[in-house]
Amino acid sequence: MSVQRDDGGTTILLVGKCPVEDAEPLLQLLQATPGAPVDWTQCGHLHTAVLQVILAGRPALVGPCGDPWVEQWVAANLL
Amino acid sequence: MNALHEQFIAEARELIHQATDDLIAVEREGFAPERIDRVFRAFHTLKGSAGVVDLPAMGVTLHAAEDLLAAIHAGKLEATPAIIDQAFACLDQVARWVNDFEVGASLPPHAGEEARAMAGALRHLLSRTETEAPAGSDREVSAPATAGAPPAWVSRLLESQRRQITGHAGDARGDLVAFSYEPDRGCFFNGDDPLQLIRQVPGLLALQVEAREPWPALAELDPFACNLRLQGIATGRHAELANIFRLVPDQVRIAAVPLAAMRLDQERDAGESDTAGLVRAVLAEQRQVLLVADQDEDISGRLGAAARAAGNALRYGLRPDLAQDIERAGAAALSARSAAALLSALEQALAALVGDAPAGDPALGAASGPARAQEPERAASRALRVDEVKIDALVNLAGELIVAKNGIAHLAKRLQDEVGDHDLARAVRREHDTIERLAGEMHAAILQLRMVPVAQVFRSFPRLVRDMSQRLEKKVRLVTHGETTESDKAVVDRLFEPLLHLVRNALDHGIESPEQRRSAGKDEGATITMQASRVGDRLVVEVVDDGRGIDPAIVRRRARERGIIADDDLAALPDEQVIDLIFSAGFSTAAEVSDISGRGVGMDVVRATVERIGGRASVMSRFGAGTTVRLDLPMNIALSRIMVVEAGGQMFGIPMDAVTETVRLGRDRISRIKNNDGFVLRDRVVPICSLAELMKLPAGPTPAADTRLVLVTEISGKVTALEIDAIQDRLEVVLKPLQGLLANARGYAGTTLLGDGRVLLVLDLKEVLQ
Repeated sequence: MSVQRDDGGTTILLVGKCPVEDAEPLLQLLQATPGAPVDWTQCGHLHTAVLQVILAGRPALVGPCGDPWVEQWVAANLL
Repeated sequence: MNALHEQFIAEARELIHQATDDLIAVEREGFAPERIDRVFRAFHTLKGSAGVVDLPAMGVTLHAAEDLLAAIHAGKLEATPAIIDQAFACLDQVARWVNDFEVGASLPPHAGEEARAMAGALRHLLSRTETEAPAGSDREVSAPATAGAPPAWVSRLLESQRRQITGHAGDARGDLVAFSYEPDRGCFFNGDDPLQLIRQVPGLLALQVEAREPWPALAELDPFACNLRLQGIATGRHAELANIFRLVPDQVRIAAVPLAAMRLDQERDAGESDTAGLVRAVLAEQRQVLLVADQDEDISGRLGAAARAAGNALRYGLRPDLAQDIERAGAAALSARSAAALLSALEQALAALVGDAPAGDPALGAASGPARAQEPERAASRALRVDEVKIDALVNLAGELIVAKNGIAHLAKRLQDEVGDHDLARAVRREHDTIERLAGEMHAAILQLRMVPVAQVFRSFPRLVRDMSQRLEKKVRLVTHGETTESDKAVVDRLFEPLLHLVRNALDHGIESPEQRRSAGKDEGATITMQASRVGDRLVVEVVDDGRGIDPAIVRRRARERGIIADDDLAALPDEQVIDLIFSAGFSTAAEVSDISGRGVGMDVVRATVERIGGRASVMSRFGAGTTVRLDLPMNIALSRIMVVEAGGQMFGIPMDAVTETVRLGRDRISRIKNNDGFVLRDRVVPICSLAELMKLPAGPTPAADTRLVLVTEISGKVTALEIDAIQDRLEVVLKPLQGLLANARGYAGTTLLGDGRVLLVLDLKEVLQ
């Protein structure tokens, strides 16, 4: 499971390769805890579907993104 | 509407006309490089101006058309009828948009879709012929090399990503290419990862990810339905990108970014209509406006308009940095209510743009400096755009002056009657003559301002004839003569409708099918001639066809069927007068009603319209050889020549154009025919009507003399003699329509003021004689 809560349960973590299936659990977590930040520093690869949930939900992001390409080209769209 | 917009509208119409003419020439006379080149340049300039006034939809459409024409020009494509038809359709679309823009200062909301559909159709023609083209032809020519103004989405993308691009590109002055990728909603289910595709784009400079439709609340979000639009700019080549997106060609748009292409444009046009030159010209014009307007009361409006126009132009020229400077300066100038700040910003922008011109191109460099800035000034001294209302005010004043002058004539006559041939009387007469001459000259000069060439009307017809002859499957050539003949704008403006009816009639009824022509021993290709000429103070416009002519027998039969004229009268009419009946209301010679003409309203509308402006319509036809319809019109409708006559003790004005001659009749020439008096004039019996009787006035004292005075009038082909008691005068007057309570009185064309202050009623003979 590459979408998880951190130990304290307040931050949502994206870890490793985040495939298309991660979109659904990420969406559920965001709905369950509105306002929870998303930490993507450990994310190795981000699927478009997961990015779409982030764009739609606009959580606060803890960066930089672990996927350098995403950090360089996509992160600016989330500022 | 600001001056830039007005100019754009006028220029766009001019260019559309020009492109239409050249396209017709291409079609009729075949392909010639310089002709295609002219068409191309017209489209190119149109596209440029569309960019300046910020009409991206128009730009997209024209850009696609331009690509197509460029391919033809380069010899990669043949100008097939399908392509020419599509080019015409494109011009029609643009013409409609120009009309919309004139009315609402913007394009209709669906313009974007229309633009995309039109551009798609144009590109389809391009790609279809391209795949048929021999192997080895360079596909890339289709887009990047000929690109000029960017499509709207590219402009927006460039604008929003400017910092990114300049930050990353460094010295990237090579080809840039933009893409817009809207993945299919279900793409995630197919295993697609759109970002993965974009990761493969070489030389990415900027990426923008946004929602296609606004995001719903998270509870309603379907995480597996893709709602993204991914747009980016890269230094790669068009072909490389196309290859990356080859599996999703329907979801992606790729376009060259015109940074580099603009340089091509400049080389191609040698500064004539190039983007940078256009931008400079717009800037220079704004500077000119501000220099003139600095003392003006409504300066704030002018400042705002100038800053906006210059800003738009600079954005279009891809200098948003300068545009921002201008807009800042504009705001500063507005708050200071002085143009100084904006002026200096304009100067700086102009200087910066001159610096932009490629150093290796001395011609362009020279053209872009002070010489450029001078241009609007020179143009301004050549032509002046004046509101029609102001000219009309002048025309009215000059008309009043002529009335006042007539008053002096009356005074001079009274003086002569009272003091005899005294020095004073002669001096007044001399002064009157001088004023008369000057007033006449002034009136003529002012009317000259309203004179426009009939070419303005004629030029719509080549296209019309082309389209309609194609539809009717007839071969028709349109020849025009005398387009430079001038007439009052009011006359020329009203000519279009009657000419349209006439040309339609000629095409539909007059011209035979190619087979019929062949079997009649005629050339298969028919000719319709439109000619204008000046005959005395009349404008004569003729529409001539070499078709089947009008058969008097058919006209007779139909006139009888429709009860247009009494049978006796019909039998008495000679053939040449019979064909005049086609102008009667409810007459139609077409066996069947077609969608082009022939609802039985055409010809009577022609006559009515022409008569309303003081003209006459007549027809001549040789059965089997062709028909000529002649419109005889006044050169201007501001001044009418009238005859002042006396009948039943009253004075009336009678328009001279209705009177063909005046005849003094001895008793012996008048014979009693039925209940009416009549006389024979050149082998023709002319009935005599008394004007006093017609106006229900007591008959005047029986004339002592043995002669009776009649005016011979011809109205709608019917000759009548109007008996009057005396002719008083012939005058040129300004006719005022009846107003107020009298506005609906029938029988009067209007009123005019006589020199002695009396009001003269001018008759509408057509109504009176009915």
